[in-house]
Amino acid sequence: MPPRAGKTRRVLARTAPEHFVGRGEQLREIAALAPHRNEARGLVLLAAPLSGASELLRQSFDELFRTRGGASPVYFAVSRTDPATTSAARRFLLTFLTHTLAHRRDDPALVSASPTLRALLELAPPADYEWVERLVQSFEAAVGEGDERSLVRLCLGAPQVAAARGARTVVLVDDVHLADALKGETHFGAELAQAAAHAGTPFVLAGLRRRALDVLSGPAVSPGLEGFGVEHVGGLGEQDSRSLASGLAERSGVALSEETRDLVAHQLEGSPYLIHAMLEAARASGASLRSFRDFQKLYVDELLGGRLHRRFGSIIEEAVPALAPRRNLLRVLHETATSVGGKVPVEAWQRRVDAAPAEFARMMRLLHAHELATLHATYVEATPGQAWRDYLRVSYRLHVAVEPRALVVADTLVETLKRAPRALARQYRRAAAFGLHKLLRRFDFQRVPASLLHYDRFARSYRGASPEEVSAGMEAETELLRLPQAIHVASCASFHPPSRQFCDEERCAVLHGFDSESYADTNEVVWLAAEVESKLEAGRALVEVWLERLSQVADACGFERVRLWLVSPEGFTDEACELLNERGAYGSSRHAMELLASRLGAEAAPAPPTAPANEFAMEIPMGDETEIIAAHTVEQIARRMEFRPEAITQIKHALIEACINASEHSLSPDRKIYQRFRLEDDKLVITVSSRGVTLPAGAPENGVPHAEQNNGHENGEGSRPKRRGWGLKLIRSLMDDVEFERVDDGTRLRMTKYLHK
Amino acid sequence: MEPELPGPPAPSEGAAGVAIIYAGDYVNKLNGQRIERECRLRLEGGCRALVINFRGTELVNSIGVSLLLGVIDMAESREARVVFTNLSRHTVKLFELLGLTRLVAMAESDEAALATLEEFTPLLPGH
Repeated sequence: MPPRAGKTRRVLARTAPEHFVGRGEQLREIAALAPHRNEARGLVLLAAPLSGASELLRQSFDELFRTRGGASPVYFAVSRTDPATTSAARRFLLTFLTHTLAHRRDDPALVSASPTLRALLELAPPADYEWVERLVQSFEAAVGEGDERSLVRLCLGAPQVAAARGARTVVLVDDVHLADALKGETHFGAELAQAAAHAGTPFVLAGLRRRALDVLSGPAVSPGLEGFGVEHVGGLGEQDSRSLASGLAERSGVALSEETRDLVAHQLEGSPYLIHAMLEAARASGASLRSFRDFQKLYVDELLGGRLHRRFGSIIEEAVPALAPRRNLLRVLHETATSVGGKVPVEAWQRRVDAAPAEFARMMRLLHAHELATLHATYVEATPGQAWRDYLRVSYRLHVAVEPRALVVADTLVETLKRAPRALARQYRRAAAFGLHKLLRRFDFQRVPASLLHYDRFARSYRGASPEEVSAGMEAETELLRLPQAIHVASCASFHPPSRQFCDEERCAVLHGFDSESYADTNEVVWLAAEVESKLEAGRALVEVWLERLSQVADACGFERVRLWLVSPEGFTDEACELLNERGAYGSSRHAMELLASRLGAEAAPAPPTAPANEFAMEIPMGDETEIIAAHTVEQIARRMEFRPEAITQIKHALIEACINASEHSLSPDRKIYQRFRLEDDKLVITVSSRGVTLPAGAPENGVPHAEQNNGHENGEGSRPKRRGWGLKLIRSLMDDVEFERVDDGTRLRMTKYLHK
Repeated sequence: MEPELPGPPAPSEGAAGVAIIYAGDYVNKLNGQRIERECRLRLEGGCRALVINFRGTELVNSIGVSLLLGVIDMAESREARVVFTNLSRHTVKLFELLGLTRLVAMAESDEAALATLEEFTPLLPGH
C-alpha cells in the first residue's frame, strides 16, 4: 500500500513526523501490522514512565491514516476522567467508529470532532452503512437492558464486527494501566485483552510497563494475549536525545550549546517528556541554554514550580490526596532514597505513612507503576531517576524540613552544577570503555591465538609490527587458547556492589560459563575481567592492585574456579607480565582486544558534526596520526606570516603536543580536536579545544597514584626522566604565551607565538 | 657507512655488534614502536650497540620520546649502548629539555658514532 506522496499532514501527532526521533523501529513495527498478509495479532507496548509512548501511538495513527486504502487506525486512550467501565466502553465505541469512518472517508477533520452515534451513521459510506447501523442498534438495545458486561463486550467487540465486514482496523489503545481505576463490575483491562485476542484485527495495547500486564490480566494469571508481540519503550539513546534537544531548541529559538545539549540529554535520562518540558520552559521564559549554569538554573526553577514540579507533584497528590499523610509520604520517600542501600521494610513504610491498608495498597501501586518507588515482597526500594530524586530532595526540604526557599534553591543549584561535569565524565568513560561485556558475551568455545590473552607474547611478536605482519603472524600461530562459553555476563558491581568504588560498571565484568561442552561442576568457570587505566604499559604495582581487587570480588562471591583477565590500553611491562603469568591471569592490550573482537565478530563506534569560521579553523578526528595534518596546516599559515624556519618547527611541535594532550586527557564524546588559527600583525594565536572532561593532572587513576604507574621512572635532577606527562611543559617551552582553560565540558588551550621575539 | 636517505625506519647492518636504525621523518607512537621493535630484535640477535639515526627527522613528539626512553632502558638492561646521530637542532633542544641527553651519547654522524663506540671495544664482540 503506497503512502500518499508529498503529504505529511498531522492528525493526532503533536510533533511533525520528520521531527519525531528515536522510535523509527517501533513505528515501523506498528505500521507493519496494517496489511492483511501480516498475521500478527498485535503488540503489547510496555512503556517506561515519561518515555513518550503516547506520542509513538499518535505518530503511528498518523502514519496509518496517511496510507489510503489500508487498515484504518483507531487511537483510544483509557482515561481517569471516565467514571466507570461503561462510560469508557461507550467512548471506545464512539472513538472506534469516528476514527474508522474518518479514515475511510479520508476526512481527518472528523477525528477531532465529537459526533453522536446517530450522526456517525449518517456519515458512514454505503459500504460500511450496514455494519455501522448494526453496531449502533445493538448498542442502543444493550443500554436499555442495563447489563454492564454485555455493554462493555459489545463496545469492545466493534473491531471484530467491522473486520468481519471487511473493514480492517489497527486499534491503538493507550494508557491501559489506567483501566484498573474504572469503577464497575467488569474488569475493563481484562475485557480489552479478550477483545484484542479475538478481534481478527490487530491491537496495540500500551501502558506503563510495571502495571499494564497486570491490568490486562484482570483476575486471571495472564492476559491471554497469545500471538501478541511485546515491545519495550524506554528512554531515548544518547544520540537520539541530543537530536531531540537540538531540534526542539532550533524550532523554538532557544540558544543551546553542544555541551549543554549533552547535559540536557544526560541529566534528563533520555526522557522525551522531560526534554520537551525543559525546552518548552526555556522557550516560554526566553532563557538561553548556552552554559551548564543556564540549564541548571532553569532546571531548578522547574523542580520548584514548573512542569517537572507539576508532573511529579500530581502523582504524589493522586497517591495521597490529604496533606498530612502526603508530608509523611515525602518523608519516608526521602528517607528511603537517602538510606544505605535505599531499601526500607514495607511495614516501616506503612507505619510511617499512617494510611489504612487498602489506601496504602493503592498508593504503593501508583508509586510502583510510575517508578517513584519499587515495591518488593517485603521491602520498598528507592528508584534512581535523577529528576525524580532532585524533585524529592527539594520537596522534602521545602515542605517537610521547612527550610528557607532561598537556601534550598542555592544548594540545589550549586549541587547540580557540581555534579554536571562528573555525570558527563561518567558517561564519557562509559562510551570510551572497550566493551568488555559485549565481548565476553561472544565467548562460545572459540579457539583464538594465545598471544591475544598473553601480552608478553603479543608484545614480542606484534608490537610495532605492520597490520599485515600481525595478521600473518596470527594466522601462523600454533598455540591456540580455547575460550569458555558464556552463560551469563554482568558487571562486577552487580555481584559485589563495593566494587563500584574502584571501577565503572562497564569496565569490570564477570562471566559465568563452562570451559568444556559438558555442563558439569568441574567445567564451570568464572572469568573476572577489568579494564586498567594507564597511559603507558601497566606496571607490576598496578597489576598487583587489580589482581587483588578481582580476587577479593571472587572470594566475596564464593566463585571457585576463577580466571582473571586484565586489559590495559598499552599492554603491560615485562615485570607485570611475569606477575600475570605467576598468577595464571591473562593480560591484553587494546590492540589485542580489538583483534580479539574482530575475530569474535564484535563491532566498533560512530562519528558526529563540523564547524565554520572567519579565521582559519579546522577540526581533526583524534588518533591515527591526524595531528601531523594539523601541523602541516599550521606550517603553511606560519610560512605565510614569514616566521623563521626554527619558529615554524616550534609552532608545529607545540600544536602536535596540544593535539596529543587533547586526545589523551579528555574523555571526548565526539573524538574531535577543534583548532583555530588567528593571524594578527605581530603574532599567531592558536586555540586548541576538545570536548570531554579533563582528567586532572596527577590524579590517581583507578586509585593508583601516577608514580606507581610510571613504572619506576621518576622526574628530578640527576634522576631518570619520567616517561610521560610533558605535554604542557613542552608547549610552554616552544610558544611565547600559553593559557590553559577548563570550560563547561572540556578544555581550551590558547598558544601565542610572536613574529619578532 | 652512509645511510640511504630517510624514509620509513629501517634497520641497517652496521659494524659487528652494532645496528643502525633510522628514525624516519616523524617519531610518534607508531614509528616509535617500530624503532622499539627493531631495537629489541637487534638486541635479541646479539647486538651490543644501537645507533639511532635521526637524519631527516623533523619532529619527535612526546610519545616518541617516551618510546625512545623505553629503548634506552631496554638497551641498558642488556648492557648495550645507544647513540643518537644526525639530530636536528630542534630535536637536540627537545632531548636536552627532557633529559635524554644525560642518558645517551650523541654524534654528528653514524661514522662518528661508530668511532665513539670503538672506544668501548671490549663491549663489542668481534673487535
